[in-house]
Amino acid sequence: MKCRILAFVLGAAALAAPARTQNSPLPLPPPVEKELAARASNVTEVTLGKNMLGFAARFMNGKDKDEAATRQLIEGLDGIYVRDYTFDKDGQYSIEEIDKLRQYFETSEWSPLVHERERKGAESTDVMVKLVNGESHGMFILTVEPRELTIVLILGPIHMDELGKLKGIGGLGALGSVEKGAKNKDK
Amino acid sequence: MEEFEQELRQAFERRPAPPSLKRKLMDRRADQRGTQRRRGHIQLWQRLAASLILVALVSGAAEWVRHDREERRQGEAARQQVLTALRVTGRALDHMNTQLAAHDRTEQR
Repeated sequence: MKCRILAFVLGAAALAAPARTQNSPLPLPPPVEKELAARASNVTEVTLGKNMLGFAARFMNGKDKDEAATRQLIEGLDGIYVRDYTFDKDGQYSIEEIDKLRQYFETSEWSPLVHERERKGAESTDVMVKLVNGESHGMFILTVEPRELTIVLILGPIHMDELGKLKGIGGLGALGSVEKGAKNKDK
Repeated sequence: MEEFEQELRQAFERRPAPPSLKRKLMDRRADQRGTQRRRGHIQLWQRLAASLILVALVSGAAEWVRHDREERRQGEAARQQVLTALRVTGRALDHMNTQLAAHDRTEQR
């Protein structure tokens, strides 16, 4: 009898585990992030799941054009994961650490859109998109500057043209030109 | 006239009270006291219930206001986080555009 109960509990746990994973598609922070955060002079960390995004959307002012567009955008998303580390001086991170970060987020589902390296090697940008049936269902951005490191992971259906409308929010108009930029890069 | 006096005398004649009168009066008085006591109890309970309902309503309203305020505060925090995330994203993409533009310029040369 005890074995049956144990089997049932284990079975239920096994069934619940993938469900929990599906509810929270955002990744856990990679171990290297902790070290980077400890060295950074300024850290911005934002992790918002689907529920939190829905909750935040309720507080977006529908009358403001930008906020209305933001609301429309975030309501469809599954999650946003942002890390921004600013350092006091150059050389606070190694190329290996950056590679570790890239590898952690890089999976087979992601297609590289932009992969830009400065000749001197101090600056780089990676933009990857997650394509599902030809539509983008996620965006990963990793920008590396001598004193700043930015990781952005947006999960869920993303329409670049809609993003481009968000000009009022911190230069988000640039989002609209991602595809254009990528095309230029391909040339 | 004599007849009238006779009637008057009879009317004023002292008659002993029926033996059950005292008991009836006592019973009636006891009933009245019981009714008054019951009414007093009912009123007390009614007042108590009304007070409890009032306290529940006031504390419920206070709790609702507190919850609403807390929800607004959390909502505003979440909204700010979204805007921060989008600002960081915008800045990262601006950086990417700058890099791409510089790359294009270099290639054109």
